[in-house]
Amino acid sequence: MLSKSAARAFFLSGTLLFSAVFIWLTVDTFQRIPAQTNAGDLTESVVRGKHLWEENNCMGCHTLLGEGAYYAPELTRVYDRRGPAFIGQMLRDPEAVYPGQRRMVTYDFTDEQVADMVAFFEWIGRMDLNGFPPEPTIGIAAAAIAIPGGKRPEIFSQVCTACHSLGGVGGTIGPALDGVGDRFDRGYLMRWITDPQAVKPGTKMPQLGLTEEQRNEVVIFLSKQREAGL
Amino acid sequence: MKYQSQKVAYWFFATCMLLLALQIIYGFIMAFAHVGFDVLHPWIPFNVARATHTNLLIVWMLTGFMGAAYFIIPDECERPIYWPRLAYVQLIALVVVSVTAVIGFHFGWWEGRKFLEIPRPLDYLVVVDVLLFVANIGMTIWKAPKITTTSIVLFFGLLMAAVLYLPGMIPTDHQTHDSFWRWWVVHLWVEGVWELIMGGILAYLLIRLTGVDRELVEKWLYVIVGFTFLSGILGTGHHYYFIGTPSYWLWIGGIFSALEPLAFLGMAIYGLALAKKGGRNHPNRIALFWTVGCCVMAFVGAGLLGAAHTLPQVNLFTHGTLVTAMHAHMAFWGAYAMLILAIITYAMPILTGRKLFETASATFAFWATNIGMIAMTVAFGVAGVAQVYLERRAGMEFLDVQRELQVHFIGLILAATLFTSGVIAFIYNFIRYGWPVGDVEETPSSGAAVAAPAE
Repeated sequence: MLSKSAARAFFLSGTLLFSAVFIWLTVDTFQRIPAQTNAGDLTESVVRGKHLWEENNCMGCHTLLGEGAYYAPELTRVYDRRGPAFIGQMLRDPEAVYPGQRRMVTYDFTDEQVADMVAFFEWIGRMDLNGFPPEPTIGIAAAAIAIPGGKRPEIFSQVCTACHSLGGVGGTIGPALDGVGDRFDRGYLMRWITDPQAVKPGTKMPQLGLTEEQRNEVVIFLSKQREAGL
Repeated sequence: MKYQSQKVAYWFFATCMLLLALQIIYGFIMAFAHVGFDVLHPWIPFNVARATHTNLLIVWMLTGFMGAAYFIIPDECERPIYWPRLAYVQLIALVVVSVTAVIGFHFGWWEGRKFLEIPRPLDYLVVVDVLLFVANIGMTIWKAPKITTTSIVLFFGLLMAAVLYLPGMIPTDHQTHDSFWRWWVVHLWVEGVWELIMGGILAYLLIRLTGVDRELVEKWLYVIVGFTFLSGILGTGHHYYFIGTPSYWLWIGGIFSALEPLAFLGMAIYGLALAKKGGRNHPNRIALFWTVGCCVMAFVGAGLLGAAHTLPQVNLFTHGTLVTAMHAHMAFWGAYAMLILAIITYAMPILTGRKLFETASATFAFWATNIGMIAMTVAFGVAGVAQVYLERRAGMEFLDVQRELQVHFIGLILAATLFTSGVIAFIYNFIRYGWPVGDVEETPSSGAAVAAPAE
């Protein structure tokens, strides 16, 4: 039967061995991190963004690299998913972007700080994370209904689908956009996404801060959303 | 008790009760925010409540470990605390630092790094405070006529907890480095050296409560903490799957963290077997309930529920979802909260001289907290799995998924209410014990003669 001194020897030798292996792997990992995370792109702006991320305890609600709290969206790929325009609007006035929804603290970031946060998210989004976050493989995204009007413009997928769905893909905060081209003409759609309050005072639809070119792209795409278009 | 100076443990335990109550209040603030009642948002936004909730947890557990050490070490080593006054100073300092930190969180004074939010200047004070504590315990053991394995394991657990706080203070500009070092602290604490502390306190309780031979208890203590480090050190790898670190961590983290439940399984068998084997019928049965309950709930919460989402193939989908909250609640409750409540339940009759062993409130506290926590874990688990499927697998928008999950948070609040009623009963019982009187028991050993006078 095992003696106490043998048990102690098992404990001490196991602990020493695995501590040594762990330290060796740590050293090796630090040598490999730069290549895996594009450390060369770590500009001053990105570093400032990282410190803003910490000073404001963003991971007290959000997750980044899957780490943080589970009250607000995962932000690892937010740069690709939502784009810089949306991130900027969200950081300036979150309650305007998601009216009546779960609330985010409004920060008084300067334009430079917003740019730093965007740069930080862009850098994070390019890391090789061994497959995280996974692409959705079943259900809604995979079974998306075919829509008219060709490929969704990138700005549409980034900004509009945060609240609206089209062909079954997107949020449910605003109304679905299927057939929207039957209901509104281009002029109305343009006035609407340029300044929603002017068209319908008191509406919850936020001003999106898109450029002229982006608005045109979205309006042309939306006006093709007709039932007969397929 | 054997020595007047052990009395300081009472004040550490009282602090635990206070911080635990505060921690629960902040938990409720977050649960209500999840179902849409966020009226406190302008003053206590979610990230403040979250930082406060988790840091209060860490502080009350460290306070509990310190109280336990001040109670156990003199008893094991058969001599009073080396610097009795320092113990009080060190407690007051710890309370002042943690209260300052928690108030600071409400004004945005923090580091914004999960679990390590305490701002840097206060970090240094925490380290100094813990080192004073370790020195006090260390001197007590050093000058003792008798050194036991239990006290040595407990001491090294506490010392390493202090040392491993340091990697979290390495400044970084790189998010991956930041995360990497943060887990050196958090993981190597809760799945490493805190388990040494846990093993030490458990061994002490089992020796006292069951009367089983010390040699046997301590031999298995070595085996269990051996398994802890064998699996737990490289098990840190399960935090290095998806943060920009090499893919070999998927293999290493997966294999070694799959072994982590073994240490907890060992502890559960150890607790159950010794409780059964023990010939002595200790009158403080409720303390034995908490002790054995701790072994079992730690195995389920930390061991099984941890293993449930630790494999990289599973964690790819559950990483960063409420599944983690499910595991975390029962793991901390089973492994560390119940352990501290066990030592408090064991120590209170000895500290106060009142024998309130089998009261209805003590029994209610045990069952209500445990059933409440199991129900909370189920609520988090169902919400987490639903989140994984809707958000990660089906690609629904985050806020739409959260709306679907609200019903589970109503369940969580109901379960947490039951849990809280149990905690209230525990605190009520604690208060009923009254102040520590410090009657020093008559022992034939040199102990009583050497005992320091009351403060």
